[in-house]
Order: sequence, then structure tokens, then C-alpha cells
Amino acid sequence: MTDKQNTTHFGYKTVAAEQKVSLVANVFHSVAAKYDVMNDLMSLGIHRLWKRFTIDCSGVRPGQQVLDLAGGTGDITALFSKRVGPTGKVVLADINASMLNVGRDKLRDLGLVNNIEYVQANAEALPFADNSFDIISIGFGLRNVTDKDAALRSMFRVLKPGGRLLVLEFSKPEQEWLSKVYDLYSFKLLPAMGQLVANDKESYQYLAESIRMHPDQETLKTMMQDAGFAEVSYHNLTGGIVALHRGYKF
Amino acid sequence: MLPLLPQFICAVAETAMAKLIAMDPDAKSRLARLAGKQLSFRLKEWPTTVVLSATHETILFNQHDNSVDCAIVTDMASLRLLRDPSQLTRLIKADALQIDGDIQVAQQYSHFFQQLNPDWQQRLSLYVGDGAAHKISQSLLQWQHYLSQKSQALAQMGGELLQDELSVSPDKAELAQFSRAVSDLAARTDVLQQQLAACRES
Repeated sequence: MTDKQNTTHFGYKTVAAEQKVSLVANVFHSVAAKYDVMNDLMSLGIHRLWKRFTIDCSGVRPGQQVLDLAGGTGDITALFSKRVGPTGKVVLADINASMLNVGRDKLRDLGLVNNIEYVQANAEALPFADNSFDIISIGFGLRNVTDKDAALRSMFRVLKPGGRLLVLEFSKPEQEWLSKVYDLYSFKLLPAMGQLVANDKESYQYLAESIRMHPDQETLKTMMQDAGFAEVSYHNLTGGIVALHRGYKF
Repeated sequence: MLPLLPQFICAVAETAMAKLIAMDPDAKSRLARLAGKQLSFRLKEWPTTVVLSATHETILFNQHDNSVDCAIVTDMASLRLLRDPSQLTRLIKADALQIDGDIQVAQQYSHFFQQLNPDWQQRLSLYVGDGAAHKISQSLLQWQHYLSQKSQALAQMGGELLQDELSVSPDKAELAQFSRAVSDLAARTDVLQQQLAACRES
């Protein structure tokens, strides 16, 4: 969230709003090549189940138009692509060219080419016409957006009436003991793993900090409602470490 | 139930199914007839609905409660019997199977799975070479044939033994009659013993 002086958070640091985009871009340029390996390592593969749960909650059907925002290396796009079939379309959008390139290469290697489009886009100002998509998903991307409210409003605009938004994002653990274990893991182990595997401690330090600065479940629910989404609900996964928020445009 | 377990099972099943289909050269042409059809499946012992969606390429596994072409609810005990179409009516009457929607979709899926014939030999040859793969495959087939014959022979022998046992086993009336005869014999023996004792005394 930006304040009146036009500053925002970059992890625990306060930076100028316009500076955050380039700082986040640097993080993802740095981690793009090892992103999938690190995801599997950090979550012990559970991120794949979180993403599958998102698909299960999407109600996706053949022929639908889907926007996978901040889609990165394309895990969610791959799942959607198989489900919308040749009559549907999935747009994989990401602000970061490096992530988009890794995603495009991976999906092509998987043989997923016919119904996927790639767009480099800023979530705050989506370059699509109003009422374009049946489903929009944003997985582990919203916390990196500078102006989350603007991004949610932009998503609301491009979603078709009756369409749904799915926000999969790190959140606040439900239990105090889990919070402590999670903090220990995030601030001690995670940067060390980042250093060991990706040779980049700072980016994973930022990851841990950005998760803590991200709005909790109820706050994000209110933000979605303020952006115009109806029937907003959320589902905690793995004790609230991750939450899936769902809202509709009517 | 463990959270995310349905997603884990669906992920494993979907990956396995994709590999099996890729190993069967004719599977995709058969799959084309199923494309676009959805079948949901739920076991009474496990309250999670798994939805199978056929595409032209593979079968996708999901977990949701949206409407599908055919929904099946059954129990663990009846699962094996579903392979035999002649059992369906009996299972439905016995309330062991509920089918909602187009039963043909369920039959088409069942038919597809029964016809799935992955070419293990081809896959194995990538790792051990054609000759060895053929040898291993033949040996496995022989073993499968041998085990199948043995299990059939065992089943037949068991059946015959039961038949024989039934034919030599006394029924209830015979058992009661035998019991009465033994009681009579015991009574007569007692009488004879008393008579002998009386003779010795006199």
C-alpha cells in the first residue's frame, strides 16, 4: 500500500513508490532461473498442491478465457491450459520479462503452445479490454505489487460479470506456535537456502519480509470488497501460511 | 482427513494417467470419443468427490462439486464389482451404487480404462535395450500366465474340496439321529453293566 508521501514497503524497508517496481524487478531477474527449484525446496513441493487447490476452486470449464496474473514460471497457467482446452485461452501475464521467458520456455517444453498467450503487463494497469476474462488468478504475486488497491480495481475491470478472481498468497498463520516456527524458518533457513541454491541471500530475505508486510486474511478480504468484488471469502491452507481468497464480479 | 490430500491424490493420478496414455499408441484415438465428458466419483468411506475430465490428450483429475455428466457414489466393497456391467443393476438395487446422470458416460470411461494397454516393453527398452526389454517382458508374461493358471487351479481345487466336504458332511437330521443312537447305546450299556454287576453278586 502507498501512503500520502508516495512511499511504500520493500520488505521491511520504506522506499519511494516508483522505486519499488525496479527493486522487485531486480529480485525476480535474479531468482528467475532457479525459481522453480527454490519453490520446490522451500515448500517441500506443497506449492503444487496449493496451486491445484486454486484450480479446484476456480470452477474452470473448457472454452473459458483465463488470465494468470504474475504467472511467473507458468505453473498455474499449465493447469488452466489443459482445462480450458483448444477452445479456451490462458493469458500468462507478468511484469518481469525474465520470469516470463522462463515460463514460456517451460510451457513450450511441456508441449503447451496452442492456447497460451504471453503478455508483459503491470497488474495496476492491465492492458486488456473491460470484461475480458472469466477467471483471473494471481498466485504469490500480489504482495509484490506497489499499489495493491489499484491492481485489484484493474482486475475487477477486466473480469467479465459473473467471473471470479482467485488470489493465492502467503498470509498469517492461524496458530501462535506455527507463527514462531514459520518465523524461524523464514528468517534463518530461507535466506541460507537462497544463498546455497541460488547464490542470492538478499532476494530470499526480501521474500520473508514481504510476506510479513502483506495484508492478513481479513484485510485482504476487505481490500477485495472495496475494489468491487462480491461474495469474497478465503480459505486458509497449511495453517494459514497461505490463503486463497476468492471474489466474484456481479 | 489430511488437508490437501485430495489434491495430492489427484496430482498423482493425473500424472500416472498421462504416462499410461502416452505409453499406449491407440489411447488417444479412443480418448477422442470421451473428450469433453466429465465423470465424478465418490466413495462412501471417503467424503471427497474426484472429477475425471477427458480431453483429447489426457484425463484430468480434480476435486470439486460442480455439475458433471455422470456422478457415481459407491463403497469400497463394491468397487471391484463395477468392472462387471452385469452387476450394476444388482448393486443399484442393493443401494451399494448410486448413479446420477448419463450412465453411458460411466460405461465409456470404464471401457476406456479396460482397453488401456500401455506398451511397457517400449518404455523399458529405453533403459535396458530392445533385447533385454523383450526378454524381461516375455518372462513377466510367462510369470503372469503361470500365476493366473495357479490361481485358477487353486480356486477350482478349493471349490471341489468344498463340494466334497459338503457331500460327506452329515446334515442336521443325520447328526441328530446319530446323537440319539449314541445316547441309546450309552443307556443300553449302563443297563448291561448293572445286569453284569447283579450276576457277579448272585
